[in-house]
Amino acid sequence: MISRLLGSYLLKEGKLTAEQLETVYETMRKVRVKLGIIAISEKMMTTEQSDEVNRLQAIVDKRFGDIAVEKGYLTNEQVTRLLGLQGNQYLSFVQSIVDNEFMDVKDIEEALLDYKNSNGFTATDIEALKSGDSDRIVPIFLPQNTVEYQLDYVLICIRTLIRLIDADVYIGKGYFTDYLDVNYYAMQSLDGDNKASMAFTAEGKEILALADAFAGEKFDNVDADSLDSAAEFINCVNGLFATNVSSKFAIDMLPPEYCETSAKFTGKILVLPLYIQGKEVKLITSFGDFINK
Amino acid sequence: MARILIVDDSRTSRKILRGLLEESGHEVVAEAENGEDGVEKYKEFKPDVTTLDITMPVMDGLQALSKIKEFDSGAKVIMVTAAGQQNKMVEAIKNGASEFVTKPFEKENILKIIEKM
Repeated sequence: MISRLLGSYLLKEGKLTAEQLETVYETMRKVRVKLGIIAISEKMMTTEQSDEVNRLQAIVDKRFGDIAVEKGYLTNEQVTRLLGLQGNQYLSFVQSIVDNEFMDVKDIEEALLDYKNSNGFTATDIEALKSGDSDRIVPIFLPQNTVEYQLDYVLICIRTLIRLIDADVYIGKGYFTDYLDVNYYAMQSLDGDNKASMAFTAEGKEILALADAFAGEKFDNVDADSLDSAAEFINCVNGLFATNVSSKFAIDMLPPEYCETSAKFTGKILVLPLYIQGKEVKLITSFGDFINK
Repeated sequence: MARILIVDDSRTSRKILRGLLEESGHEVVAEAENGEDGVEKYKEFKPDVTTLDITMPVMDGLQALSKIKEFDSGAKVIMVTAAGQQNKMVEAIKNGASEFVTKPFEKENILKIIEKM
């Protein structure tokens, strides 16, 4: 996520061209290897164990390393070593820019400082960004009064997006609003002790980046088929969230829904811009009550 | 190879599931988009195996399971749901569901379950 966030900033500021940025990402893709692959090549896990952990990731909201430790396939020390071998995404990004001779380290550090100041980030926020860990990065883009469960709700969605839809998804600044006009939406609500809703919308056809990847087919338009696909993605996210919180409060999943025409959302709504395959969609959540429409 | 009825309100899920099953030589005899329609299709087609989504409008998967079991106590039904519906899965198994699978679909797992049935 950090490479996409900083990359889009460097592009906007004219420090890198779109072509240079794509070269940087391409270089990173060549060297970025999944944790399971490294574990197999290091003979720490078998292919069957790695496949099993990948399968489990679809139904539990946990990282590869955490599941592998729980299953007894890896120790915490081995996971730390594997993460070290996999490399820090921020450092890979910097190295790729420098290796391609597009900018030097000093220029990148200066650009990072500008990025920090223009977004009002603190030094701690920048450390979180440099960690490359989406669980640490996402909170700095959310409003400070975001409650813990709503943060978890958003984090589960983003982790699932990274796992199933786009490993390079990144986010913009989130904000709370009392109402929002949308051109269309896909949504699912959760009933029970704590009501909640999750929805996706976008200005135009951007939501197809999500719908296409989830259904594994190419949709041409924002219609019942593509919105159903987006709604089913939300269904999977809500299932993972419900699993996580089910020991703390009762929760019941309502049927997913979608609407192809404009609507007005009201309630205490958290809006978070997300970039899937570089296309901006809005992730909309409420916690404590439904999104009313 | 089994004759299968798919009951799911999501056309995306129905399409993905149909693709997985047909690719492996199974025959999808019918689809239904809610529990009520699913029960009717079960009576009409008498499939070998029925996949039944839990969260659906009009009539949910648990109600549809009871109706199907009333009609045919030997019906082989696989409950399908996103994670997070453990209580409902337990209830479904108590009410006679043979197996359950979670979304997103994992091809090997589904085929293994159908073969077992």
